[in-house]
Amino acid sequence: MSKSVSPNVPRPVSVKAHRGVPLVVAGEKVEAVRDSWLIEDQWWTECPIRRHYHELVGVRGRNLVVFCDLRTGGWFRQAA
Amino acid sequence: MGASSPYIELHCHSAYSFLDGASMPDELIERAGELGYGALALTDHDSVAGAMELAVAARRSSVRAIFGTELTVALPASDPRGQTPGDDRRFAHLTLLVRDGRGWRNLCRLLTLAHAHTRARSDRRLSQPSVSLQQVSEHANGLVCLTGCAQHGVRDERTVRILRDSFGPERLRVELQRPYAHGDRARNRALELLANRLSLRTVATGDVHAHAPMRALLQDALVAVRHGATLDGSEVCRRPNHTHVLAAPDAMAARFGSHPDAVAETVSLAEMLTFQLTGDLGYRYPGHDDGGATRMLTGICQGALGMRYSGNHPRLAEAQARLEAELQTIDTLGLSGFFLLHHEILELAHAVATEVRGRDSARALLAPGRGRGSSVSSIVCYLTGLSHIDPIANDLAIGRFLHEDITALPDIDIDFPRDIRERLIPRIVDHYGAERAALVATFPTYRARGAIRELGKALGLPAGEIERVARGSEGRGSQGTVAADVAAALGKERLERGRWAWLCRLANEAHGLPRHMSQHPGGMVISTRPLIDCCPVVPAAMESRQIVQWDKDSCADAGFLKIDLLGLGMLSAVERCVELIAARHKQTVDLSRIPFDDKATFQCIQEAKTTGVFQIESRAQMGSLRRTRPQTLAELTIQVALVRPGPIVGGAVNPYIERRQRLALEPDFQVPYLHHSLRGPLAETLGTIIFQDQVIEVAQAFASFSAGEAEGLRRAMSRKRSEQAIASHHERFIAGACRAHSDVDESLAEEVWKMVRGFAGFGFPKAHGAAFGLLAYQSTWLRVHYPAEFLCALLNEQPMGFYPPDSLIGEAQRRGVRILAADVNHSGAECTLAEDGAICMGLAYIKGIRQIDIDSLLAAREADGAFVSLEDLRARSGLPSSALQALAWSGACAGLMAGGEHGAGVGAGADHRTRRTALWKLGVPKGKAPIKQGRQLALELSLGDAPELPALSDWELMIADYSVTGVSIERHPLALLRAELTRLGAHATAALADMAHGCEVAVGGLVIARQRPATANGITFLLIEDEHGTLNVIVPTRLYERQRQIVRTEPLLLACGRLERHQSGGGAINLLARSLEPLRDIWGPSASVTALANADGQAGTDATADGDRAAAAVGPAELEATGTDGFLAVAPPAHSFAQGRRR
Repeated sequence: MSKSVSPNVPRPVSVKAHRGVPLVVAGEKVEAVRDSWLIEDQWWTECPIRRHYHELVGVRGRNLVVFCDLRTGGWFRQAA
Repeated sequence: MGASSPYIELHCHSAYSFLDGASMPDELIERAGELGYGALALTDHDSVAGAMELAVAARRSSVRAIFGTELTVALPASDPRGQTPGDDRRFAHLTLLVRDGRGWRNLCRLLTLAHAHTRARSDRRLSQPSVSLQQVSEHANGLVCLTGCAQHGVRDERTVRILRDSFGPERLRVELQRPYAHGDRARNRALELLANRLSLRTVATGDVHAHAPMRALLQDALVAVRHGATLDGSEVCRRPNHTHVLAAPDAMAARFGSHPDAVAETVSLAEMLTFQLTGDLGYRYPGHDDGGATRMLTGICQGALGMRYSGNHPRLAEAQARLEAELQTIDTLGLSGFFLLHHEILELAHAVATEVRGRDSARALLAPGRGRGSSVSSIVCYLTGLSHIDPIANDLAIGRFLHEDITALPDIDIDFPRDIRERLIPRIVDHYGAERAALVATFPTYRARGAIRELGKALGLPAGEIERVARGSEGRGSQGTVAADVAAALGKERLERGRWAWLCRLANEAHGLPRHMSQHPGGMVISTRPLIDCCPVVPAAMESRQIVQWDKDSCADAGFLKIDLLGLGMLSAVERCVELIAARHKQTVDLSRIPFDDKATFQCIQEAKTTGVFQIESRAQMGSLRRTRPQTLAELTIQVALVRPGPIVGGAVNPYIERRQRLALEPDFQVPYLHHSLRGPLAETLGTIIFQDQVIEVAQAFASFSAGEAEGLRRAMSRKRSEQAIASHHERFIAGACRAHSDVDESLAEEVWKMVRGFAGFGFPKAHGAAFGLLAYQSTWLRVHYPAEFLCALLNEQPMGFYPPDSLIGEAQRRGVRILAADVNHSGAECTLAEDGAICMGLAYIKGIRQIDIDSLLAAREADGAFVSLEDLRARSGLPSSALQALAWSGACAGLMAGGEHGAGVGAGADHRTRRTALWKLGVPKGKAPIKQGRQLALELSLGDAPELPALSDWELMIADYSVTGVSIERHPLALLRAELTRLGAHATAALADMAHGCEVAVGGLVIARQRPATANGITFLLIEDEHGTLNVIVPTRLYERQRQIVRTEPLLLACGRLERHQSGGGAINLLARSLEPLRDIWGPSASVTALANADGQAGTDATADGDRAAAAVGPAELEATGTDGFLAVAPPAHSFAQGRRR
């Protein structure tokens, strides 16, 4: 049986941020920002991507990966 | 420098990091200046190819250039970064920056070492350049080392310690980058800790790959091209975002906000990197400093003078005076060593020529090479053998080539036959030393057609549509043009949005960017000190050749002497012809002693029967020849120079021709001159400017320019974007003319200036015209007196000239030359000449047969006699199936099925049946599988009887001929279409001679040339051919715009319009087209292309495996995908819009 691949579809999430840096994600306060990075891709398609990702540690000790869609301003969460 | 700039960029790639960097060095410098940078370092991958361009651009800017490279280092196998041989993770990158002259020398040597093994594969395919850490350590002096980029930099402590030992802590920095990729922060934290442990400083860099945001998008596409992938499928190879665009210093400082020391270090380090490339690199050419050079050169010239102008030669005194003057100028300029160096190379060429030709060959009489260009006007060049034209007898003025005001080294270009040049180049490298001689590089750049194909593929556009757009492209590359290409081929709606719109934008951005490195056609640099101390030297794709990493402009900026050793196909062809004449007629032809007033030769020239000859064979030259009707070599010199942009734009062509025609009718006709002072400079060209030299002479005689000023004007006219430079001479010209002549007013001076100014396009110096005119005459003489030998020589020297082999053959057949198709029992590898004068096509013309296959077949034939059957051929030749099938499909096996007679007994009727049967019989059996110890012993083989196969039609046979050999000897496509064309009311070209000027005609033809000269105001010219001859079709601009795709891509056309035959045209017939229709609809029974011929002999080395790959060629499905079928896929390539021959 072939192994299925997770589509890792982004899900909207509520984020409070200051100057683009998340402070609270889905009600959970952010303890630390481990990393942040930028993805700009698929500009040649109908659905270009511009995302500012953040890898965070929540106060409950969880690892969180969220991104801000720089085209719409919306926040999304993806599996780490 | 940098006082107000908080950050200096020390890691930047230009487009000379091929298919990675997306901006030119001058674009980077300009943008850096706009952003407020004080300095900028260029660090291309394993290269300094763009360094001189950066240096030159920086001279015009406030930004100081820093030089370096991103060098690939092969880490020891034990290094944890890579374990697998061949895996690119074995390699790491170091950023090396040049501090001083010693550092530059070390960098050049390191890069030379990095490339030394890159052509080591048997197929000489390029492999990854790299050096060892040991080699880096040995060349550390004068260099500053950064530990490399985020992705491939050195990060293990052991390696960094080795580097610290080599460079010392003062010249080693740990490099931090922040490309906003996942893992940046952790990496930089770790690198900072590493630096602290080793007491090293960190430095921030940006790893710039583009100067502007749009180029970042192009960079994505270029990376996809480099990986042979689409943008959609190359996510892992590409950069995650576009932060590699050159950003403002403040923005970069902010990006590294948590590493302020690393930012400050960029400025400190930049202050240490003071090396300037535009200073003296220490290059000297051999003989430069030779104090005895003048004496030696004088001795050589005086010795030759005595021989060339022996006894009481009528021009001896004039020659002696000219020689003394030239030697004086050469001595004053310190150029004696320069001429001696060229003479020495010619001596080497003599030795090579003797080896290549053999002492007793008929062509041993010929000089090893011939001069071209302005150097032909020099008597020193004539006497040292660098030119073959007597400048005194031909009245060639020296000024353009050599005078006391010259500011750059003069150009001496020498043409050689291809085989001699092939051996001469490595001989020169041997003679002067591999470290001291190398070819100049050239960098092919993106143009529209290549950009459409490569970027279109990266965008994932349909292959068939890309090909349609590319084939129909006008090839200029501006955004508007590519958009017009797409609109013309696929419709305007494709441009509205989506990937086709992106293609247009990307192609525009890519236009002019270098794509890869190649070798210059003949430019060579020779040095007294090792060249590798001045510029890296790398192996070329061709064996025994090596190239410097700079192109001719960078070499000139560095002060290198470039010697041009050019290969000229026609020289090779005339030498072959001389050999063939000797073999068949037992005559030795010395081309320097043939009669130069031969009536038959000049008659052919005047009637434009010049297909295949040098320079005067093109459509435009033929049209002109009928009008000018040259009668002497001097007039041919003018003719060769006449059809060039300079005389055309300058308005010289029609006045010259009209005055010539008038003089022929009225010998007393007084040629009009704008001013009496022009009578001297312009007498031989009847008051018009045809030669470059005449610009100089007119400026001197009319406007009293000095020799240096006049040469400055000429140079300004030959430079790109020369408007400003030319304008600066304008005022001086007008004032000078009015001052020098009391009868010249401003309006007359302006009129003469207009004539001079019009010449700003490309034109020949008279000396060049004389050299080329002589070869044009000699090749015509051979064509007239030895037509079969001349054609045979041309066929064996392809590709060359204006016409494809198919047209050369068709035209020669119409003159009565017999051509026989290739035959396995009668053909050699090359075309050969039978005793009766028939030409037998060579086996090398059959596509899909490799040289090794031909050698094998000929060896078997030589060993045990002619093949007697297909079974015999298969058993004895040992050819793979693909080669046997190509032979069968080409008709080369027909003799084996019809009693073995070549050219007889296999008449057209037989050929219709035999090819398919031979293909079936040779294609069915499988080859034997290779085993470890070799092959199975071949048992006798019975091919069995073929089933009853349908006969091929004439059209199918012609398609087969074109697809396998590129020529159709027995069937012209128009002859096959003639009945249908006649039914449609079309005429054959033979019928046009009897038709009146102005009548409406329709003519069908095979397109053999398409031209749209910039000088023709949008008019396109098509040269079409039928079974009787050729016809020039004039396509007006509006018709071209309406039917552009047809004009640019259809091989068979029906042209309808008005027949034009002007009295002044010398009998030339043109068709002014009103409409053009593709002849596809009447191609008759559609013959699909059986793709036997794609291999081109490039398949693998194992014959059997190769055979099994057999016809892995373009299949019908693929042809369908590219919008082609039948004839379109196999049509002989046409001379197409100054792009050479292409389909």
